[in-house]
Amino acid sequence: MTTTTASNDTVGTRKSRWPVGLLLVAAPVFLVCWMIIWPILSAIWRTVWLPGDGAGHSFSLATYRFFFSDQYSLNNLSVTLWTTGVCALLLVLICVPIALYLRFAKGRLAAYVQGLAIFPMFVPSIILSYAIIRVLGPNGTVDLLLNAVGLPKIRSPYLTPWGPVIGLVWDNIPLTVLILLAGLASVSNQSIEAARDVGARPLAVLWHIILPRISNSILVAVSFTVLGIFSSFTLPYVLGPAAPEMMGPFMQRTFRDVNDPTMAITQAVVTFAFCIVFGLFYVRSVAKNRAP
Amino acid sequence: MKRRAFMLSVGGTAAGMVLLPRAVFAEAGRIDWYTSSDQNILDFWTNVVKPKFEAANPGVTINLVDAGDGPGNIAIGERALAALSSNADPQADYFESYDPLLPSGAIEAGLFVNMKEAGLSNWSKINPLAIESDYSMPYRGSQVLLAYDTTKLNPANAPKTWPELVAWIKANPGQFIYNRPNKGGSGGNFVRRAIYEANGKDPAVFNTTNFGELGEKALPPAWEILNDIAPSLFDNGAYTSGNTQSIQLLGQSAVTMIPAWSDQALSAIDQGVLPETTGLVQLQDLALPGGFSRSVVLSNGVNRDAALKLADFILTEEIQSAVLTELGGFPGVSWDYVSADLREKFKDVIPETIPNFPGGDWEKAINEGWYRNVAPNVDPNS
Repeated sequence: MTTTTASNDTVGTRKSRWPVGLLLVAAPVFLVCWMIIWPILSAIWRTVWLPGDGAGHSFSLATYRFFFSDQYSLNNLSVTLWTTGVCALLLVLICVPIALYLRFAKGRLAAYVQGLAIFPMFVPSIILSYAIIRVLGPNGTVDLLLNAVGLPKIRSPYLTPWGPVIGLVWDNIPLTVLILLAGLASVSNQSIEAARDVGARPLAVLWHIILPRISNSILVAVSFTVLGIFSSFTLPYVLGPAAPEMMGPFMQRTFRDVNDPTMAITQAVVTFAFCIVFGLFYVRSVAKNRAP
Repeated sequence: MKRRAFMLSVGGTAAGMVLLPRAVFAEAGRIDWYTSSDQNILDFWTNVVKPKFEAANPGVTINLVDAGDGPGNIAIGERALAALSSNADPQADYFESYDPLLPSGAIEAGLFVNMKEAGLSNWSKINPLAIESDYSMPYRGSQVLLAYDTTKLNPANAPKTWPELVAWIKANPGQFIYNRPNKGGSGGNFVRRAIYEANGKDPAVFNTTNFGELGEKALPPAWEILNDIAPSLFDNGAYTSGNTQSIQLLGQSAVTMIPAWSDQALSAIDQGVLPETTGLVQLQDLALPGGFSRSVVLSNGVNRDAALKLADFILTEEIQSAVLTELGGFPGVSWDYVSADLREKFKDVIPETIPNFPGGDWEKAINEGWYRNVAPNVDPNS
């Protein structure tokens, strides 16, 4: 009986409610439909309803057949998947320790570390690109330092697939750290102290107490960064090799320099199909959290 | 926690401010000027043309806008064409370098002022070789040449012909790089020079309309030439993504030689981006291509008359001499209309003709063909 009383007090369970909630979400839903859903549908439509030999249009999957039978396009797709995977892995490996440190450390040094971890957020990627050429490029700062102590030069990542990886990882550290920090806030000090009281070692605390609590945040962070990296443009454009290209520069070049909008849209639809998979991960984890 | 909340809100606010819309309206007396050229051209306008023009024409200012690249300029052109049909304000008056054939149909619709009949007092001074259309006004020329490090390569041994250049590249692996042909004219014209080389070194063979009959057999031999030198390029076949990045690599002494725009190389040396010891050389058997930059004026711009005054102004001897001295480009006017001492000084650098590769379908085919056949560095023999 007590539960009935409590639920009657809860917001949103009264029978005669105004559709205020629906009105509040109407604007974003409308924007999403207008600026995202509609362009997607129109893009898919334009890639399958192609002008035929004569005057009319007809249904055809020719552009997709070309994409998936063209080794050059497939190489571009696989280098994009490779870059995204490597970046996501490196981000988790780098950012989880940073976030753990920031969660449990106190004092001035932690503030500086946090400032440093957030700093990339305020650096435009084009400036980052040229800075990386200066620092990691051939005869850049790193080479000069190595040379000063008599060590050989590094094999520069500039104009290789590792160039964009280094830039993208650095660029995505702030977002990943912030999301992980938000997740770590749900790990209470009491639970960790309780585990320690019964003799758990640090690794056991990490494995049995902390990681289960933030696995969801890791998933969210990875799906967010993966979405950004998959469609990134500036860093792969400036730092990456001429071929294979990542999908971002490839689409842009097909659209503007090769002047083939239909093929560019096909590439965009394929890219979107991959991104939607990562998006579903995110939606699923959010939905799981909201479930009672 | 507070620190974290603060960082989150700062991040959110910063992201929000980037997305704030900004309203733009054309202003009377302010010429909205667009360019797709490199930074050195924008600097030339900011530091030389703008102050001189504004001093000579009180009440008129120039709003210099960087449209990024060629397609960026064309997007503004398309907006102006749309504005023309709806009698709206195009918010643009002047394009620093533009092909009036784009967007197609713009000339027929009357988007551009007919410069020949616009009553420009200096039109007759223009070098007749540079004129391509009555709707565009050539005002500066530029050509791709080879920039190299004289501390590593004695100027006496610098290659003077294409075969010598290829021999030098192969003898000095890793010391040469050119940029992707669609990302900047220095690499683009290097690739076009290879196309000339593969087709009898006759620029007259190529024109805007003959891609259909010639394209299939003219391009593959050029890809062969370029694939042949690819393993000897920087990093076994890497290609920079722009004119500026090539200059950066030469400046960092990572390579010994690059193709570069004459004007960009000269201003880079002037600003210390490239060292004083940078040498410049042009191939003597057939020069690397180049071209003239041609300005257009929009007929429906709010400041059309002021923009025409500006067009006339940049053909004056004062600005055309500055194109030579400040920019390192070639004047758009005939050589009789630059000062006599400059004419004497630049006598040896002045090219008699600048090969100019046609655009249109050729450009698309080169941009796509190079990426598929040269960029992946696939050994044709394997």
